[in-house]
Order: sequence, then structure tokens, then C-alpha cells
Amino acid sequence: MMWLSWRQFRVQALVGAGALLVIAVFLIRLGWDVRDGYELYRAHCLNRADCAEAAARFRGAHRNTLLFLAAGLGLIPAVAGAFWGAPLIARELENGTHRLVWNQSVTRPRWLLGRILLVGLASVVLTGTAAALLTWAAQPYDEIAGDRFSALVFGARGIAPIGYATLALAFGTVTGLLLRRTLPAMAVTLVGFLAFQFFFPNVVRPALIPPERATLAMTAGAINGAQNLGGIGGGSVIGGVRIPGEPDAWIADTSPLRTADGKNLDTAVFGDCVDSPPRTGAGGTFGDAAVCLARLDLHVDVSYHPESRYWTFQWLETGIYLSLGGILVLFGLWRIRRGAG
Amino acid sequence: MSLAELPPALGAENLTKKYGRRGRTALSGVNLAVPSGRVIGLVGPNGAGKSTLLHLACGLTEPSAGSLTVLGSRPAASASHLARVGFVAQNTPVYGSLTVAEHLRLGASMNPSWDPDLAKRRIGEAGLNPARKAGQLSGGQRAQLALTVAAAKRPELLIFDEPAAALDPLARQGFLRNLLEFVRELGASAVLSSHLLGDIEQVCDYLIVLCDARVQVAGDTRDLLAEHARLVAPRAEFDRLPAGVEMISAEHRGPHGSAIVRARGLSAPPPYRVEPVSLEELVLGYMTRAAGAPLAGAGAGEGSR
Repeated sequence: MMWLSWRQFRVQALVGAGALLVIAVFLIRLGWDVRDGYELYRAHCLNRADCAEAAARFRGAHRNTLLFLAAGLGLIPAVAGAFWGAPLIARELENGTHRLVWNQSVTRPRWLLGRILLVGLASVVLTGTAAALLTWAAQPYDEIAGDRFSALVFGARGIAPIGYATLALAFGTVTGLLLRRTLPAMAVTLVGFLAFQFFFPNVVRPALIPPERATLAMTAGAINGAQNLGGIGGGSVIGGVRIPGEPDAWIADTSPLRTADGKNLDTAVFGDCVDSPPRTGAGGTFGDAAVCLARLDLHVDVSYHPESRYWTFQWLETGIYLSLGGILVLFGLWRIRRGAG
Repeated sequence: MSLAELPPALGAENLTKKYGRRGRTALSGVNLAVPSGRVIGLVGPNGAGKSTLLHLACGLTEPSAGSLTVLGSRPAASASHLARVGFVAQNTPVYGSLTVAEHLRLGASMNPSWDPDLAKRRIGEAGLNPARKAGQLSGGQRAQLALTVAAAKRPELLIFDEPAAALDPLARQGFLRNLLEFVRELGASAVLSSHLLGDIEQVCDYLIVLCDARVQVAGDTRDLLAEHARLVAPRAEFDRLPAGVEMISAEHRGPHGSAIVRARGLSAPPPYRVEPVSLEELVLGYMTRAAGAPLAGAGAGEGSR
């Protein structure tokens, strides 16, 4: 039976292998580049001021490439689910060949299981190898940048992509079985899985483990360490604050700026400070605005996950995706046993 | 073991199949007990439920109610049961991108009982080039390929769903001849559905007439021909038929009437005249009755035993 599964998958496997080769060559060269850049950074990192500048230069040199790669490689599971998973049953149903293949001396669940295992293995190897190479290539960068928890980066590193690949393939296969048409099944798989990949990190992941909570005093230094003041939606918000002593922790949620009595800072007061602060000649990212806000004795309440939880999150998320994929496969086997002719 | 002791090739009890939520009834209360060792013709108009019955028989769908056994077991219940039943679906699907030889390899890898010599010989006899992609074959050649894949696993029962419907007359002849040769060589039973009576008459020795989701009549063709007759008489006489004579369908032209009737050993006295019927007349009679009076199917059950 595996002969037919392999024969039907041969061309797609070849395409996958070719893509992996290109990705691997690129990532290995990138890995060397990143390591060269890291050596350069170390060589220039003689005192604190030089060190910060060298680090910024090193980050700037690779930031966009690595983000682009994380986004691009993050698409592999969804694409494999759509192009390999969705047609697995749907194309047979569409061409009527299920009536040929399901009447050989192999039961339908066994036929499906064989096909899913073969194609799923290929998808896991493709996704897993690409992710492992990217993790290796980006390792010195991740050490300096400390944003391994950001949604895009987290999903492209470590073992989580293996879980994604499994779930996407199972999702595509079952969608094909239910919709019975290849193209709609491919579209639903692609859109559905990408939506899930967006939904999970933003809604589910922060709550997978109960977060730690902390109150951060908003001194001028702390404000200048943040990334942005104010937001698209208005309000007295600050983004990208860092926790003293745990600079690489993942801040899952940040409250608006709050005054000493715990109330949110009045937006008019906030606006005055940001738009027309008294001139003091202070430096830093936000300059006079930071000084003006610091005088108000503000704080924010944050919930966060320490950096040490990174692998706990990776394993948890991989486990969840693998389990969901397994449930979908079981459903597919049950469904196909009942008949879909 | 004699044929009579074998489990029936097809055994149905109150078999019913409905599709979808709105519940279009494809089969309704079908009872069948078809002995093994026969070539069974399943005839009926399009949409009568023939494909549904055959798909149920090879386990592609499940009944909504009632039960169906094939060679004594639930259809497609296990790999070993799948090995005993060969199925050629309507339009004889094959993998367009696989060659003829790869189809034989497919069969060999998925069927423990595969007979490679039989397959190779039949492909040669049908004049198929093993290196040719199945997508480039003519309809007749594709049907021969599908037939070979279904038969070379040496099943005990071969099921064909409208196998020759899309073929030109010459290809149909060749296909049906090949089909019969396979059945003889394997010593298998066969079920063959068609809306073309000619095909059925040519190859089948057992007949099932399916109209309007119900079995109208089923039985050995010789028995059926012996039990049915054309009765010709003055029109008025049809109002008082002799006892034991069941009217199937009537056709009255002029002062004389003519009807297909069912009665065992019918020897009606004048003014009746009894004539033998052809299989085609018999089938048309039942189809006419089903089409004219859709609710008259109540009496169909008796005919199916």
C-alpha cells in the first residue's frame, strides 16, 4: 500500500526536498554571516558605551532578514497543509479514484493512516529542519536581541514548528474529506490555519501558564527604556517597557500609565506632557516628555513571563498542536470508516 | 459444498438508504437473497437506486436502515473481506497520471491475493501498452484496465456499476466478452448494473429489476421467463382474470387487449391466448407499472424472494 502513497506523493516530495535544499543553503550562509557579525560585536564591546552601539549595529544588520525569515518559514506548515494535506482525500473524491483505491484489500482507515503518516512525516521533516537551521543561524542574534517570545519569532524557532506542521496537515486532510473539493479545501486550510496561527499566540499563549505580575515605577529612565508612548487608539499608554533585572522577560500585558492612587492617567495630562513638555534639555528617547511624565509619580501594572519559561512554552505549545492534530486525524479515520462514497 | 450451501452473494433485509437531511430516498425496504455463482443483472431507469445498491454492496456507503450482507458478511468490514469483492465503479475511474503497468503494481501492492500472471496476460490480450499513462487511454481501454485491476485480485464477487454505459457498441462488446471470461476463469459471481437491457440479456442469468427505490422483481432469468407470459384477449376479459394471475402491465389497442402477467404454469382457456415474453418485454412491463403507479410498489416485496 505504501507504494501507491509514495508514488502519488513523489513529485510533491521532490518539490519539498528542492525547497528545503535552497532554504538550508541560505540559512547556513546566514548563520556564518551572523556569527561573523557576532565576532565583530564582541571585538568592539570593550566598554559599556561602545558595547551598546556595537550591539545596536549587530541587531540592525540582521533584524529585518531574520524577521522576514521567521514570517516566511512560518508559512511552511500552512502551505504544506494546503498543498499536501487538503488534496490527500479531496482529489480522490473529485476524480472518483476513491472508488478504485478503496476497493483494494486495504481498509479505508489504514489507507488514510498510511497516507497521512507519509505526508505528515515529510511535512514535519521539512518544517522541523528549516526551523532547526533558523534557530541555529539566529542563535547569537537571539542572545543579544532577547525577543524570542515575540509572536513571529517564537513560532519559527525551536520545536513549535513541528507541532504546527502536524496540525496544519491534519487540518488540511480533514477539511478535504469534509468539503470533498480540492480548491475550496486548500483555500480554507490556508486561511483557517493562518488565522489560528495568529489567534493562538495572541490570545491563548499568554494564558497557557499563569503570568507573574509586577508594578513598574515610571521613572524618566524607565520611560526612555520603553519603545513607544501613546497609541493608535489614544489613551495614556506606554509600550515596550522592560522589567528591571529581567530584560528578556515576555511582557504579556501592560496597563495604561497609572497615578499613585491607581487610577489611569488623565489623557489630557498625558497629551500635554507628550506634545508640549516644559523644556529641560533632557536627553534619551523621549527627552522632555519623559521628565514631564516622571514628575507625575506614575507606574504601570504588567503581567509577564520570565525568560526561563521559554522552553516550557515551546514544549507546551508543541504538545497542544500535536494533540489537536492527533484528534483531527482520529476524527478523519472515524469519518472515513463510516463511508464517504 | 454445493452452491445452495454457500452464503448468498447478496442478502438484503429491509435495506433502506436516504441521502442528506431532506432525505431523498434512494432505496426503500429492499429484500434480496441472490445465490452465489450467478451473473446478476441489475436493471432500472436512471436514478432508480442501482448505484446506491452497488455502493452499499462494496461498503462505500452505509445503510440508513435495514441490513445488507455480501458473501455472508458486512460489506468492506475487513481487509480480508475487501479481498473477496472486486468493484468497477461507474465511468471506470483510474489514476490518469499512472501508467498501465503502475496500475498493476498498485494492485499487487494492495492485494495479497493478486495474480500477476492473470493481470499481465489480460492486459496483453486487451492490447494495452503497459508504458502508457492511463489518462491517455480511450474509454474502452480504461474500462479494460479497471476491469483487470478489479479482477486480478481474484475476488469471489465482481461488482460492476454501469461499466459499459459510456462505451461505443464495439468497445462494449469487447468489454462484456472480457468480463464474462474473467467471471468464468475466476469462478466468481458477478453483479452488473445497466440501464441497457441488451447488455444484461447477453450476459446475465439472474435479474433484479429496480425502479423507484424498490425491487420490482428478482429471480433466475429462466424462472422469470417461465413465470411470466403475455396474455391476449378481448378487452372486457381483463376485468375478470383467472385466479392466481397477477397483472403486471397492460396495453390495450383496439378491441383486443394485451398484458404482461405473472402466473405459474399459466394455461388459460379461450378466449385467452397465452404467448411467451422476452426478457425485455418483462422488464419493460415492470418499469411501466412502477412508473405509472409509484405507490403500487407494495406488492414488490413478494417478487424479490
